[in-house]
Amino acid sequence: MKDYIISTGNISPQHSMDVDAFFNSRNETSNNFFNALEPDYAAFVDSKMIRRMSRIVKMGVAASTTCLRNAGVEIPAAILTATAYGCLEDSATFLRKMIEFDEQMLSPTAFIQSTHNTVGAQIALLLKCHHYNNTIVHRAFSFENALTESRLLLEEGISPVLVGAIDEITYDRHAILSRFGLYKRDSGNIAGEGAAFFLLSKQPGNNYQAVLKAVQSFYKADIVQEDISKFLTTHEMDAELPGLILHSETVYDKTKGKNYRVLKNAFPGIPEFAFKSLCGDFPTSSGFALWFASLLLKEQKAPVWMHGIKFPLKNIFIYQQDGLHHSFYLISSD
Amino acid sequence: MDNLKEKLKVQVIERLNLKDLKPGDIGDDQPLFVEGIGLDSIDALELIVLLQQEYNIKLSNAEDGPRVFHSIRTMADYITANSGAVKVST
Repeated sequence: MKDYIISTGNISPQHSMDVDAFFNSRNETSNNFFNALEPDYAAFVDSKMIRRMSRIVKMGVAASTTCLRNAGVEIPAAILTATAYGCLEDSATFLRKMIEFDEQMLSPTAFIQSTHNTVGAQIALLLKCHHYNNTIVHRAFSFENALTESRLLLEEGISPVLVGAIDEITYDRHAILSRFGLYKRDSGNIAGEGAAFFLLSKQPGNNYQAVLKAVQSFYKADIVQEDISKFLTTHEMDAELPGLILHSETVYDKTKGKNYRVLKNAFPGIPEFAFKSLCGDFPTSSGFALWFASLLLKEQKAPVWMHGIKFPLKNIFIYQQDGLHHSFYLISSD
Repeated sequence: MDNLKEKLKVQVIERLNLKDLKPGDIGDDQPLFVEGIGLDSIDALELIVLLQQEYNIKLSNAEDGPRVFHSIRTMADYITANSGAVKVST
């Protein structure tokens, strides 16, 4: 099954809103969190509308608007958003006010904006888009399931579909998860955030970016080589290895990981890159990986800070892992 | 009364996150909704909560809303008329 990625829009800790800057410089962090580089939102949203939006909503609106502008599409046939944590900032604000005011006289704005589907709803409101709108919340399968639903909609002739992955770092989330030892600078595991949107179509159009060939998820402790072999065979890739592996193993301790060893054995000698070193760790970071893969396939060149990839680059395999959630992606140039 | 109106302007701007406005930009009689400052129904709810939290005044009749929240002056008049007379129900 082939679906075309017509355009993308991405806000991340890298210069992802400016392709030239992204290819020429890599942003680093000295902290155990990696905040997104946010644009001037006034270029995307009217000031009257923006005043109620929290960071995650603004990121989602700006990334989706960029995606649609790049494609020259005003109204998509469907909008799907994927998020693991939803609008955490507003949720925390609402809960704090519940405590502060003893569950009386609660401000409506934080409540309204705290639901997981706020981003998708705001995009639709701004576009005045009354088409199908759904938000998928399924931890590290959120984006994968949103893509699956997008592809089913495309099969039914509903096209183009705007689909995006979005999550934010908030002070509370970071403090709580850090207490569990999730984020450690010295192990390379840093918290991340971002909003990546894609316009998908069954038709290639005049200037598509890449082809989404397959997405498959596994809920298990560890992947085995047979999982990769079956995936490649199913999608007729057994005779041809991908030219690049984008994986989610952490930057410094990846050689210790069992899943990483499986990956290395399945793709001997294939260049690899740990994409979370660019966007940080968050459950919907596979959106960043898909954006990165689409960009490399479209531009057919590597950023100055990335080495060892041979061009022309035809296929990219993405491996996303978050706890027991594992996903494989196959992205192609044609 | 003038102090109350100025205080209300600051509170409205802060509560509704009207970053582009300064207290001096809001006229005492300028309509707050639609053609005036451009507030909407969610803002109306925020203003009701503001009255309760800051002035201990509960808008007992929802139909009074458009009249009470027409402008800063009408809000100030309502607060002055009801201050201390109506307690928040718990």
